[in-house]
Amino acid sequence: MRHRLPIIVSSLLLLMACESYDCTLYNYVGMYGTFYKDGSAVQISDTLTITTGKSGPVLLNRAVGTSRLNLPMSYWQEEDTLVLTVKGDGYLFRDSVWITKDNQVHYESPDCPTTLFHNIRDVRSTHEFIKDITIIRSSVNYETTDNLQIHLLSTSD
Amino acid sequence: MKQPITCKYICFLLLISLTCFSSQAQEQQQKDKAPLLSGVAVSADIVGFAMKAIGAKFANMEVGGRINLLDKYFPVAELGIGDCHREGAETGNTFSTTSPYMRFGLDYNFNKKHNGNRLFGIFRYGFSSFKYDIGNETFSDPVYGTTGPLNLGSEKATAQWLEFGVGVETKLWSFVRLGWSMRYKFRLAISNPEEGAPYFIPGFGKNDSNCFGGTVNLVFDVGKNIMKNKQKKENK
Repeated sequence: MRHRLPIIVSSLLLLMACESYDCTLYNYVGMYGTFYKDGSAVQISDTLTITTGKSGPVLLNRAVGTSRLNLPMSYWQEEDTLVLTVKGDGYLFRDSVWITKDNQVHYESPDCPTTLFHNIRDVRSTHEFIKDITIIRSSVNYETTDNLQIHLLSTSD
Repeated sequence: MKQPITCKYICFLLLISLTCFSSQAQEQQQKDKAPLLSGVAVSADIVGFAMKAIGAKFANMEVGGRINLLDKYFPVAELGIGDCHREGAETGNTFSTTSPYMRFGLDYNFNKKHNGNRLFGIFRYGFSSFKYDIGNETFSDPVYGTTGPLNLGSEKATAQWLEFGVGVETKLWSFVRLGWSMRYKFRLAISNPEEGAPYFIPGFGKNDSNCFGGTVNLVFDVGKNIMKNKQKKENK
């Protein structure tokens, strides 16, 4: 027992000295939305480009066959402005979307990246090809389920 | 007719002898048994103060007091200040707190000899109500490109936990003793703001559901000599 005691004590001390980082593995915060037309999910076969206002970064560049959006939100702005441009053969539609939100810091530890969660309060848009936007989940966090349903104008509209 | 009288006489003698033996054993036991209030001691965890002195990332500096009951049960109260200043190497996130904590509990001494040495089991209930600051001077939005300091100051939190462990203590000189203890701690409850949980809980350690901890205590058994002097006076 006398020989074992130092080994036990040093093992316990080593155990205490170890440090592990328990950061969230999937730490992307994005807003998710799906396109709907006449009540059913659709994909936009033309090229879709999404920018943030006139001089903001391009969030989606000439995507084809888009059915679902996954977009980052600004950390500190109270309202994000998105410009959605659909370009087809000989035509171009452009709509602006304004998303009003609250921002909340999400801090885990000094060793993990800090992110911001958001709470969508209101969404409005112009109506060149977007008919209406419905908020189905206001919390924007690590979850990947839809926040918005983007209803497109049908051909009859 | 004589037989019952003899029998009664023998029984009476046996009863007297048994009573005498039992009273002698009780007297012997009482001599071995420590008095109910056998001492009062104050202690300090020298590891916490040493960690603070060398500039460690965190330290729990605490002092404690205990009462010695029968040299077996030791009700204990520990008060301390938990100190943590940490900056993430890659993230630039900072966390800092300097807040008080307290623990109450009991030590149970397994050593049956009353020689001043102890091998004891530990049970504690710990509590801390504390404030902490979290921040990042170069916090930036990777998509929208805005950069600005992130400062969340004076966030309030409370935490409760239990501790179980073992310890040893030995007599160094007169009323001075040195001991160490190892403790397994598990968190009972924590309440904190939604913005962010504390990285460190004063008195507990790194914020997790459980953790290990230890102390190296310098103990001053201040009440022991008073008790001894009292006993000497009574004997005289």
